[in-house]
Amino acid sequence: MTRYVMVADLRRCVGCQTCTAACKEGNGTPPGVQWRRVLDLESGTYPDVRRVFVPVGCQHCANPPCLEVCPSTATRQRPDGIVTIDYDLCIGCSYCIMACPYDARSLIDRPLYAFGDEPTPAEAARIRHQTSGVATKCTFCAKRIDAGVARGLVPGQDPEATPLCVNSCISGALSFGDIDDPAGPVADLLAENQWFRMHESEGTEPGFYYIWDKGTL
Amino acid sequence: MSSAPLRESPPQAADNGAIRAVPSYCYNCVAGPDLMTVRVENGVATRIEPCHAAAAIHPGLGRVCVKAFGLVQKTYNPHRVLTPMRRTNPRKGRDEDPGFVPISWDEALDTIAARLQDIRARGLVDEAGLPRVAATFGHGGTPQSYMGTFPAFLSAWGPIDYSFGSGQGVKCVHSEHLYGEFWHRGFTVCADTVHTRYVISCGSNVEVSGGVCAVRRHADARIRGVKRVQIEPHLSPTAACSAEWVPIKPKTDPAFLLALVHTLLFEHERSALDLPFLRDRTAAPYLVAANGYYLRDPATGKPLLWDETSGGAVPFDTPGAHPALEGRYTVATAVTRGPDNEISPLEAASARTALTAMADAMQSYTADWAAGVCDIPAGTIRRIAAEFLDNACIGATINIDGETLPFRPVAVTLGKTVNNGWGAYECCWARTMLATLVGALEVPGGTLGTTVRLNRPHENRLLSVKPGEDGFMAAHFNATDRNGWMAQPSGRNAHRTLVPILGNSPWAQALGPTHLAWMFSRAAPTEWPTPNLPEIWFAFRTNPAISFWDTAEIGRAMARMPFIVAFAYTFDETNHMADILLPDATDLESTQLIRIGGTKFVEQHWAHHGVALRAPAVAPQGEARDFTWISTELARRAGLLERYNAALNRGAAGAPLKGEGYDFSLATDRAHDVDTIWNAVCQAATAELGGTAEARDLDWFKQHGHYVVPFKREDWYLYPTMVRLGLRFELPYQERLLRVGEELGRRLHEHGIHWWDRQLDEYVALPQWHDVPERWVQAIRDLGADPADYPLWGITTKVMPYTTGNNAGIPLMHEVSANLRGHGAVVINAATAARLGIAAGDRVEVRSPIGSTTGRAALVQGCRPDTVVIPGQFDHWKTPFAKDLAFPSLNTVVPMSLALTDATGSGADVVRVAVRKLRAEAGAP
Repeated sequence: MTRYVMVADLRRCVGCQTCTAACKEGNGTPPGVQWRRVLDLESGTYPDVRRVFVPVGCQHCANPPCLEVCPSTATRQRPDGIVTIDYDLCIGCSYCIMACPYDARSLIDRPLYAFGDEPTPAEAARIRHQTSGVATKCTFCAKRIDAGVARGLVPGQDPEATPLCVNSCISGALSFGDIDDPAGPVADLLAENQWFRMHESEGTEPGFYYIWDKGTL
Repeated sequence: MSSAPLRESPPQAADNGAIRAVPSYCYNCVAGPDLMTVRVENGVATRIEPCHAAAAIHPGLGRVCVKAFGLVQKTYNPHRVLTPMRRTNPRKGRDEDPGFVPISWDEALDTIAARLQDIRARGLVDEAGLPRVAATFGHGGTPQSYMGTFPAFLSAWGPIDYSFGSGQGVKCVHSEHLYGEFWHRGFTVCADTVHTRYVISCGSNVEVSGGVCAVRRHADARIRGVKRVQIEPHLSPTAACSAEWVPIKPKTDPAFLLALVHTLLFEHERSALDLPFLRDRTAAPYLVAANGYYLRDPATGKPLLWDETSGGAVPFDTPGAHPALEGRYTVATAVTRGPDNEISPLEAASARTALTAMADAMQSYTADWAAGVCDIPAGTIRRIAAEFLDNACIGATINIDGETLPFRPVAVTLGKTVNNGWGAYECCWARTMLATLVGALEVPGGTLGTTVRLNRPHENRLLSVKPGEDGFMAAHFNATDRNGWMAQPSGRNAHRTLVPILGNSPWAQALGPTHLAWMFSRAAPTEWPTPNLPEIWFAFRTNPAISFWDTAEIGRAMARMPFIVAFAYTFDETNHMADILLPDATDLESTQLIRIGGTKFVEQHWAHHGVALRAPAVAPQGEARDFTWISTELARRAGLLERYNAALNRGAAGAPLKGEGYDFSLATDRAHDVDTIWNAVCQAATAELGGTAEARDLDWFKQHGHYVVPFKREDWYLYPTMVRLGLRFELPYQERLLRVGEELGRRLHEHGIHWWDRQLDEYVALPQWHDVPERWVQAIRDLGADPADYPLWGITTKVMPYTTGNNAGIPLMHEVSANLRGHGAVVINAATAARLGIAAGDRVEVRSPIGSTTGRAALVQGCRPDTVVIPGQFDHWKTPFAKDLAFPSLNTVVPMSLALTDATGSGADVVRVAVRKLRAEAGAP
């Protein structure tokens, strides 16, 4: 059985937002919509202060609250764990946005462009990727994964079968792969390091793991 | 286990019908270049991707920094200047409408060429000996990787004044450039991160400005267990990623570092230091006379040391001598060589070793003393010193490329504002001494230089090492003797006159006190005539009207320039004053081959070196033209074609076109098109690297992107070269600087110049603490204000999406930066803000005596209560998109003055400020 997961090593992340930019450009998301972003969090009181950078996005939960509330069945879950949205079915009701405990979904009601009312040639070339009136979120670059797997490539190991955010990560903080593959790129990482998942208490069983040697955030 | 690297992909260039993948590079900041791939769909660049094909040869696994992802928007920015333009309003100033009107390339180039020819007819320098043509390029020389063959045009022209700064000195790590290169050929300095165990980082924000290679190396080091202690007033991303953050009072780093030196010398056994390194590879045993100069052998003039075997003083290079490292001795007969070659014969001369002199000088700098200066507990200082020593592994060795080298896995790094401006000399010296005391200078695990710029050849810093006097590397200072000193400046920032250590290599002038060119253009010192402004000023990838200190004054000075040619991307605050705008083809539209790999700025330590091509991924927008075409046309129309082509043949485009076994020289009597020129450069560069049979042409590069050959890891380190040449690092004692400073003072005073006397104080053989922060307090008084009215320190910091990217007008960079705290804001300690009645998000004014800047308040715990931080450089008033952000900028409130200029000609991004909440106004952003 294949279960794709993302791993963010918080010891490595520097908050550079390269993954954010790579995702936005690669997926053609409009201004203000970020399927991948990196939070900049601070805790403590001066001078005992800690600051940490936390990549977030859709957690591709095993028990996705967004799926449960979706009235149109647009939100679905693939056997490999990737949570999808069928834009043809989505009615833009935003229930899923409200239900998601990870603030991972976005909805815009009209096309948005970087420099105002007109798309740049690059935006126009990728206009098909921009959707308005429906919920959108991180797809784990599912089309990229599927195309790569069809060519015999391994997600998380071969760039052409790997999510763009992982490909772009300069510190090596982001990893991706099949958690059930003992020889894959994430199994050892999770076996050998201390990790947590966000909002475990919600029972969502996220497919997004955070390596952090200082416990939970 | 750390995260696994992705597999290497096949070569990048691909053409899948309407979709193409074009190999290229991003060199928008000095931490690059990064190799990348441009994805093009139906002739439109749609996204940037890493160069996975380079994963095996690039220390950052072929990844590319966030700034590169802005290049697509940069290409299609609707605000671009896409046709040559001419100014129609002769009056210049911020409040004047330039009245730019489109013109043809012919008109633009002919207008410039006519002025150039007129200048050539009258002489390249004016009656004061100053070049009539000036040029300014942006951050750290990176524009050279985008200006095609313009260097050949500049070479063909002749003398050009690079005096007018755009931020260097105050925005770069200036003192490190000068002293680092002097002491260990380290124009920039870093830890040997892949081997080190312990790093003391004073404000070095490497996770933000170190580039892809450094970020990856440091991340790997953290997983490996390295401990980095970050010393800085606010909790930067680098502090966030460090094991420990120590919030130091701004500009007191010299005291902290001197205290570390003291602690190693006085609170640990001497045997805990690397005594063989000090004895054999430094001047620690040289004898220093009471007058401050080395005791020298009367016959040879060589410095003396005390030979414990013979019980007498002998020249430093006496075979078989066993030098005493410490002690006080009496030498029967010796001489000293003082300023102006004054030889002083001495009998029964008292002397102490340089190490003893150093210990004497450091004796009072206890941890308890520094605690009061730096606001760091003495116990913390002692602990850090002890951890540094414990991790130094003195006596250990490591095998590198089959060679056994010392292994000293401890390093000290310095950041901007620490290693420039007053106090930077002391910091650079103390940092280098900490490495020296434990033998961790230029060895595996230790503190390394990365590149050279003041010495040559730039491509190989090891080859820049030549034996000089007194057993040290040769240094190329500007003359300070009576006959050689340049009393009349040869450039408008007087770098050869005022800053001996700079020398006069091609990069030297742009590293001089470049603000003086702007300051003196209004009013020169009374001893010098006010210099004429250059008759033509070329500006490319630079915006000093927002990027320097006291930007309002810079803008006024710029408006006095009679004729400005700006290579223009969009309208901006600097080209607002221009007479001609030339739209150059930008990053994704133009052709150039550059060198990659080896060791470069910041932390580019590769196991390979070679060249990479920036090929046009898409056609230029509008009338934008390739810089090489522009350069060739300027040369042709100005009558310089033959000299221009000759410069190309000599290597002005990055590689000599003729070498052993190959000759790709261009005919000098005709204009060559862009591809012909770069085809020759591609073949010559690869022939030079790999031999004639390896020559690769332009088409090959368009397909494959880069070509590399192995680079020995041993060549990351200077130590083997020093051993091979039998040289010593010129530490700890600075006899040469002492002498040069005395000579410079004499020359200046002989000419009645006393306004540089403060700077002369910096020429001491052993650094001493002076109240560095007080200089900025005094600056407030000098401006006629009361320091009590400016109770806070104002400093700045960087964020990766903007650092040196010249991309303030790119919406994507703004959007992703907004995920980081403090973007476009004034960062204030939450308790301080509460005391001032400021809530998160309030608009606040940050004010100094010269002006004010406003922004939103970002409240944090990770900032000293006496300090506010303004990230980036903004306050734009012309650049499209950026001007609507209403972001603050420290540059607006930092005064520019001689008093805040150190001996190297640099200042620092520090100012005493007042902060107040602004009343909310309807419609205010």
